[in-house]
Amino acid sequence: MAPPGIAIAVPNNRYSPAFARTARLCLAFARVGFVNTLAFRLRYVTGIVTYFIYVSVYYFIWKAIYEHSASIEGFDFAHLLTYIGVGWIIRSFYFNTIDQDLAYQVIEGRLAMDLIKPVNIQLMYVSRAAGESVFRLALLTIPTALVLFLVYPLRLPAGFGHAGAFFVSVILSFLIVAAINFAVGTFALRLQSILGLMRAKFFLLELFSGLLLPMTFFPHIFQKILSVMPFEYISYVPMLIYLGKLNGGGLARAIGIQIFWVVILMAIGDGLWRWSTRKVIIQGG
Amino acid sequence: MPPIIEVQNLVKEFRTFRRREGVLGALQNLFVREYMTVHAVDHISFSIEPGEMVGYIGANGAGKSTTIKILTGILSPTGGRVVSNGFVPYRERRHYTKHIGVVFGQRTQLWWDIAVIESFKLLKEIYEISDQDYQQRLDVFSEILNLKEYLHTPVRKLSLGERMRCDLAASLLHNPPVLFLDEPTIGLDVVAKERIREFLKEINRTEGTTVLLTTHDLSDIEELSRRIVIIDKGRILFDGDLEQMKARLAKYNQVKFFLKDRSQVPRLAQIETDGIVCQRVDDLTYVIRFDRGEHSSANVIRQIVNTLQVRDLLVEEEPIEEIVKRIYLSGEVI
Repeated sequence: MAPPGIAIAVPNNRYSPAFARTARLCLAFARVGFVNTLAFRLRYVTGIVTYFIYVSVYYFIWKAIYEHSASIEGFDFAHLLTYIGVGWIIRSFYFNTIDQDLAYQVIEGRLAMDLIKPVNIQLMYVSRAAGESVFRLALLTIPTALVLFLVYPLRLPAGFGHAGAFFVSVILSFLIVAAINFAVGTFALRLQSILGLMRAKFFLLELFSGLLLPMTFFPHIFQKILSVMPFEYISYVPMLIYLGKLNGGGLARAIGIQIFWVVILMAIGDGLWRWSTRKVIIQGG
Repeated sequence: MPPIIEVQNLVKEFRTFRRREGVLGALQNLFVREYMTVHAVDHISFSIEPGEMVGYIGANGAGKSTTIKILTGILSPTGGRVVSNGFVPYRERRHYTKHIGVVFGQRTQLWWDIAVIESFKLLKEIYEISDQDYQQRLDVFSEILNLKEYLHTPVRKLSLGERMRCDLAASLLHNPPVLFLDEPTIGLDVVAKERIREFLKEINRTEGTTVLLTTHDLSDIEELSRRIVIIDKGRILFDGDLEQMKARLAKYNQVKFFLKDRSQVPRLAQIETDGIVCQRVDDLTYVIRFDRGEHSSANVIRQIVNTLQVRDLLVEEEPIEEIVKRIYLSGEVI
């Protein structure tokens, strides 16, 4: 028989708006991401060196190319150098390893631990990655920026307005990358190993995000195709804003499309997650 | 009060494909797959009352973990009905998991690289535990489980026993009415086991938490639950009171006796009549094991003390392990 003081499921009648609750939860996950990264802070010392080397390589390549022409596809050398340099700087902030995190979770058989938690899994992974990114901002992004601005003649943002819009745009870049990585990661549930998929995604992002060279350098038809995909909104668009090449309505529209992609990609991620867990739930982990 | 967990005719089948051997077999596997169906759980029914502590046991691969996974909502059944705490677990998983606690002994639900207390804080947000409840439960759990020294240590640096205690606390922070434990004492030393058992008893007594636990360690069951469910090859072989099981199924008793000195040894032969056999433990210690239906303990003892000079004598029941082993081996529903 039931002893006294028995606990039965009671609906949570403590009133708090869904949005505030979600925000609190995201913050808590971000905190864990932040604290977790703290344990691996030494990694970032080598990170700064790596980023410096990357940008240096591109500096010399582009310098050689610009020997013969003052402007290519609307970019002069100073612009292009800033495009590449600052592009790498923001990459150190917006990139994340959600796909890899999910893959490990599956390989190590820890997926059940995610499934027994009453939370939106995508929200959990993205928030945690956000915490990591904030951490990297302090330990990797800012030091790398200091070094690069000291060594190379990089330009400052086109203006205060552009700097603000650039900041918003980079945060949206983070969300786009996070959503793409989550969607890729969900395939680990069905495929077990997604190493190949992750590599493919990596090169796709490096090339089509505009990190290596501006979209205007691609063949025209390619540009058309890529403009209806989310990739160029990761690096190309924020860099155009930074350089002052997007203004007024064009700028607002670009940020609007970024938001659009965040919403769409996250919806896709949620759908993929549901589709993948259904299989796990039927077949066992 | 209606049962808090109800399982009716639960079936879980897994389809796996048979791998052929050798190079040719591997090539064949690529094109033609031969599937076979495994019945992990085969028409199981039971129900659990609120506040009960039930031990769920079975050999490896008997279907214990599959049942627990279905009950926690991370696996959907092939057939049958499951209602736990008013939910159909696999259909309403996200809402349902708010109202249960789960510990998988082989895994941790804590975040590996951060301090235990950070994980607890996160769980507080996930389960929307009020500050007051959180603080109070944390204090109580730290006290009983002796967690204080580990709270600020990253989980990866904890020993298995320490980690398990933290995991147990984590699973109960939101005071769930139902707690599922899958092998919570696996790999733990005696002291750690004892502490965990005490804690579970305490929580069950004070909060009325319903507990379903699987284990290989039958002493867990003896210490914790009065009710035992034995499963083998996906079917329930026994479901009932532990004491009743012993009374009904214990076949043998044994008498252990210690001879006064070596001079008594030749006289052992005199009591070996009527199918009674003395088994030697060491030079002076012997055991007589006998069928409870054929001999009474009183008769056996009388015969021993009448014939031999003994220093001491013990009557023991058949250990529960032996009974369970017999149930597994017979494979029949009791």
